[in-house]
Amino acid sequence: MSTGDDKPVLQIESVSKRYGTAQVLHDVSLELPTGVVGLLGPNGSGKSTLIKSILGLVSIDKGQGQVLGLQWPSQVRALRDRVGYLPEDDCYIQGLQGIESIQLMARLSGLRKREALRRAHEVADYCDLGQERYRNVETYSTGMRQKLKFAQALVHDPQWVILDEPTTGLDPVQREQFLDRISTLAKEKGKSVLLSTHILHDVVKTCDRVVILVRGKVRLDDTLERLQRPSKEGIHVSVLSGAAGLAGVLSNKGIESKVSSDGELVVLGSGERLSKEIWESSVEAGVLVHRMDRARNSLEQAFLDAVKG
Amino acid sequence: MPLLDIGYRGWHGERTARWTRSLVLASTGIHLIWQGVWIKRVLMFAVIPCLIAGVLVAVMEQTVEQGGLARAAQQMEKTRDGKQMGSQLGINWGKMAKDPEQARHYAWAFILYSLFRYPQAFGMIVVVGLVAPRLISYDLRSRGYLLYLSRPLTPGEYIFGKALVLYFLLFMISALPALMIYITGLVLTPDSTAFFQTWDLPLRILLATTVLMIPTTAVALAFSSVTQESRFAGFAWFALWVLGAVVYRVLWFASNFNVQTGRGGRRGEVFEGMQNWSVLKLFSPYETLGYMQQQVFGLTSSEENVWSPWVVALIVSVLGYGVAYWRVSRVLKA
Repeated sequence: MSTGDDKPVLQIESVSKRYGTAQVLHDVSLELPTGVVGLLGPNGSGKSTLIKSILGLVSIDKGQGQVLGLQWPSQVRALRDRVGYLPEDDCYIQGLQGIESIQLMARLSGLRKREALRRAHEVADYCDLGQERYRNVETYSTGMRQKLKFAQALVHDPQWVILDEPTTGLDPVQREQFLDRISTLAKEKGKSVLLSTHILHDVVKTCDRVVILVRGKVRLDDTLERLQRPSKEGIHVSVLSGAAGLAGVLSNKGIESKVSSDGELVVLGSGERLSKEIWESSVEAGVLVHRMDRARNSLEQAFLDAVKG
Repeated sequence: MPLLDIGYRGWHGERTARWTRSLVLASTGIHLIWQGVWIKRVLMFAVIPCLIAGVLVAVMEQTVEQGGLARAAQQMEKTRDGKQMGSQLGINWGKMAKDPEQARHYAWAFILYSLFRYPQAFGMIVVVGLVAPRLISYDLRSRGYLLYLSRPLTPGEYIFGKALVLYFLLFMISALPALMIYITGLVLTPDSTAFFQTWDLPLRILLATTVLMIPTTAVALAFSSVTQESRFAGFAWFALWVLGAVVYRVLWFASNFNVQTGRGGRRGEVFEGMQNWSVLKLFSPYETLGYMQQQVFGLTSSEENVWSPWVVALIVSVLGYGVAYWRVSRVLKA
């Protein structure tokens, strides 16, 4: 999902922020490459503060760096022309139609009036706003408002898109469409995306890299692929029923396996021979195998491990 | 599923200068308030007094021959009723009577000042009271400021953009009609020297409008920024003007009533001197601004050189814009 440009999107050092007595960010140093990066963390971990700091919406106590090749935080205003931001909060400009809201954001980012309107329609089409774009934004449902905010974030064609909880309030179908749009932007249009979310499925579906923030500190920063790689190789076997029976047959043949709580099986080892043994054992055990995959660690486990510290 | 989905397309184009972004905010604000029916009605009503003032200037220029105004002023200065009228309305007959050229300047300035002081000032209070409370409080309630400030706008530019909405309205109510009256006067007067006698009046109109704009906008924005409920801001706005006027009048009568009536004066005499400067005027924004405009139009007596209303207006302006700035900067941290 790289744009081919090896320069990191963001490179910040020793960023600290305190609200009164609460230290929200502790010496955060981070380097984000191009592509889609998931920003995870429990509530109050400092994700939104970090994002707002990057955009210069809150002033930091300490820290510096570069974002999109600009000095940060000194050039934060120029940066905002290159970044699209979808805020977590439910926010809108009262009294405007959807299309006017998008046009306004385009104009505030420097597009001329007519061009801003043309571009607003283009992005509204992409975000599937349909005819709802002519309704006042106060009348929008939560899902529509998320789409509107996404359109507003994209209207000035930013290099980097920061999405703070973008799929909140979307139904499953809309969520999948939304995630597909994020992937398309990264893969086909070379956009970099920072996706802050609690929904691990969204991260697994779209991200190349994951940063986990816990109590204002970066606890984990790695590629998703490496995080999901298990310590021992194995094969993940999905069966319709009788996983325990299959595990027994495999055990008799000296093959180690584990039955997971959801009734599936992880067989340790790798290679074609092992696959063949699993097939033969399933016939012996009378178990129907639904699917076989290379075993992976769950992101959920990595997240829990990181939070526990 | 759409029949044709062209997907996401990039955009490459020239961006406008960053300083213009506040203007975008202002134009959107004006677009939004223009949707309200009441604001159009109030603006329409605000123009009506200008028509009357325009007719007054035109009639005066058509009927009074050269030097007539000065002679009339001399007569008025001599009579007791004339003196009382001058005192109540703030007309300085002596100044008018000095020479015919000054008389025209004085008369035009007085008409324009009266326009600013009475109908347009009330129009301003109503229009700002209808519009300003919503300007920032709505954004605080709907968290719209996050959308604005994630663009290349500082809180200061955001406040300036909002202030421009009110500046525009106040210009429409005050400066524009006054300038139209001035131009009407020039066009309708048979005297070709009128422009040379009154060339400074457009500048005075602009200055008087600025005097009105800066502090009132500052106060209105400060009220709007301290609450998410626009009705509270609106209530505070109207209360400020009404209470200020009541307090001033009560205090003024309390300190002048005995003196006036003790001499056995007539009922009307109690109003005498209200046009002159008194520190009590500082209790009322209406009186303070009115006196500043009186100074701008050169209608105060020459021995009065009062700076305190200007200082107070400056302090109120700085405080008003400061409160609005502080509030908008602060909500970002929440």
